[in-house]
Amino acid sequence: MTEIPSSVLVVDDEIQIRRFLRTGFELDGFTVMEAETGAEALRSATLKPSDLVILDLGLPDMEGADVLERLRAWSSVPLIVLSVRASETEKVRLLELGADDYVVKPFGMAELLARAHSAMRRQLRSSRGEPVVKFGPLSIDFTARAVFINDQRVTLTPKEYRLLQILAQHSGNVVTHQFLLREVWGNDHVEDTHYLRIFVRKLRRKIEADPTQPCILLTELGVGYRLVSSDPVPSAQTAAAPKSLAQ
Amino acid sequence: MQRELRGIGIVLLWVAATTVFAMLLRHYLGILRGAVLYLIPVMFAGYRLGVLPALVAAIAGVILSGYFFFSQFYTFQVASPQEALNLVLYMFVAVVFSHLASSAKKHTEIARQREQQMSDLYAFSRRLAMASDTADIFVAIQNHLANLVQRKVVLLGAADAGNATDVPESVRAGVSHVESDEGLERTVDDGKGDIWLIRRVSPKTPDFGLVAVDLGTVSGKALADMRQRIDDALSDAAATLERLDVARAINEAKMRSETELLREALIGSVSHELRTPLASILGAATILSNAPALAHDKRLQALTGLVRDEAERLNNDIQNLLDATTISRQQVRPQLQWVEPVDIVNAAVEHRRRRLAGHPVKLDLDSNLPIVRADPAQVEQALVQILDNAAKYSADGSPIRVAARPNGHSVVLSVHDSGAGLTAEERRQIGGRFFRGPRHAAITSGSGLGLWIANAFIKANGGTVEVESEGAECGTTVSIHLPISTEAAPLETTIDD
Repeated sequence: MTEIPSSVLVVDDEIQIRRFLRTGFELDGFTVMEAETGAEALRSATLKPSDLVILDLGLPDMEGADVLERLRAWSSVPLIVLSVRASETEKVRLLELGADDYVVKPFGMAELLARAHSAMRRQLRSSRGEPVVKFGPLSIDFTARAVFINDQRVTLTPKEYRLLQILAQHSGNVVTHQFLLREVWGNDHVEDTHYLRIFVRKLRRKIEADPTQPCILLTELGVGYRLVSSDPVPSAQTAAAPKSLAQ
Repeated sequence: MQRELRGIGIVLLWVAATTVFAMLLRHYLGILRGAVLYLIPVMFAGYRLGVLPALVAAIAGVILSGYFFFSQFYTFQVASPQEALNLVLYMFVAVVFSHLASSAKKHTEIARQREQQMSDLYAFSRRLAMASDTADIFVAIQNHLANLVQRKVVLLGAADAGNATDVPESVRAGVSHVESDEGLERTVDDGKGDIWLIRRVSPKTPDFGLVAVDLGTVSGKALADMRQRIDDALSDAAATLERLDVARAINEAKMRSETELLREALIGSVSHELRTPLASILGAATILSNAPALAHDKRLQALTGLVRDEAERLNNDIQNLLDATTISRQQVRPQLQWVEPVDIVNAAVEHRRRRLAGHPVKLDLDSNLPIVRADPAQVEQALVQILDNAAKYSADGSPIRVAARPNGHSVVLSVHDSGAGLTAEERRQIGGRFFRGPRHAAITSGSGLGLWIANAFIKANGGTVEVESEGAECGTTVSIHLPISTEAAPLETTIDD
């Protein structure tokens, strides 16, 4: 897809999983590196930074959360967590620690790739600053702070706009309730999920064709919200992804 | 002795009262043969106080009736031989009466005690039989002993037995002494004036552990009496423990708890061991289905789809097993949060998109439902089970209607199918674990866990699951009723923009 292939570091102790992930990513044009343990993953990420990390949580040597935390201390590389359907609380914790998204095992390759591309696109976008982003019928003009549905301008309240803006910045990836509450209402309201429920309902009435069948602003039950992936901007396809996103 | 004197005193008072009463009867009503009334205190004395007071009452009664009620009145002389015979007869009846009364009392007493003992023993053996681990058994033994001895009893020494902390520090030293020295028993002063008796529950086996009995502040003969009583009670208890085969119960309980641990470990590892290959099978299948080499061969496409569906089904079965284990271990702990009911429905339908593919799914969702307090993952899982059933037990192509509506104080999520339906009898049984009606078993395979899981999750969230059907082949409606929280759900207008 890109002229210089993107690289992915797959961290999983199960060889079968690594094997199918390798094939899946290679078919999608990635070069694949593998790590079996948390320690190996951290070493690999330092020596040969990749454009994407896929991190399994059940590693033999370290807690997945520890690997994530230590990696995030110096790197903002897009990272997707592979989790078993454990608790929603655990997923939220990993997202708060800086994972860009998660997929629940077992998962389809297409789903993982979609999440991965969204996370990588966000990196790219934040480095290039696109003024207008489209999500199907919805488009957001960040410079004018204006929102359009099928080119019709929609009036949003400042908080609704802020909510949409944050989701759009992470489009394609999940954003936790806590993050949204903190960003929109401030630290005092991190527990007030009902604010969010009601605002999302209002926002959906304005941007969704059928608010009970949302196609743009999706719910991740118990975790947060996800705005659908933005439509690819033609120029993003040809531009090479930055080789290393490690700072 | 003192008790008996007191008894005699009481009896004499009763006799005196009877005399006064009989005199009154004679004076006002002209009843001359009041002597028969003396049988009443005799009988009472026999029943309540024992033989001796009863005899005293009888003799007093004879003397007093001789004095008051036989001519000559107010002398101890009796006029005719007839009257003398009367008196002797009276005395005989009185003695027999008192004896009968006192032995009847004794019998009732014994019967009552025996009944109490039997019911105690029954309760004890029931507890033993139901004990899930050794600690349970030892608590039962401890309570049983405390019941018999009527003092504070602490069971010690045996593995997992009672709480050593229930025994004062100073007594514990004595405990280890008895532990190391077989068959010995000791009394120890706990330093606060209480005497503790420490001995083995059974002299034959250490299996039942040691008991420490708080004798209280006693000394001398009272102490010896109490020790005798406790010894008797304990040897009874030890015999009971042997007869009930408590040693085996203890071993079995140990094995049970080990089995439980093993089972948990097994389920944990099986689910992990099965899920890892499943994840790679499913992942690989999704890659294959998009592979250009297979893209134009419909049959191969169908095959990869099959692999994927079956892997997903297996994964759901594993999830059901795990859920069932959680439920039967009573570890369903909902994490309540404010949830948009419509979100739950959408997530569940999305989760089962592939499975519902053969049915037109009609969604009828109220966009203005109150938000509810619930664990979204559990409610979704419950709804998924219900959707599964709807898809399973209705013909391909028949519609499934999913609705979310308010109803009084609850939000109702319902799934309606036009499938196999339920007879009244099936409706009564459905929801039991592993229940599958024969008609349903004939349609498709399944574990019979689905509705049971749904029910357990919804119950844990404070809601109910209701099943309605007009009868066989008339379709089924299963609905989840979630209570609308009494915590004032915030109104849209109360939050500022």
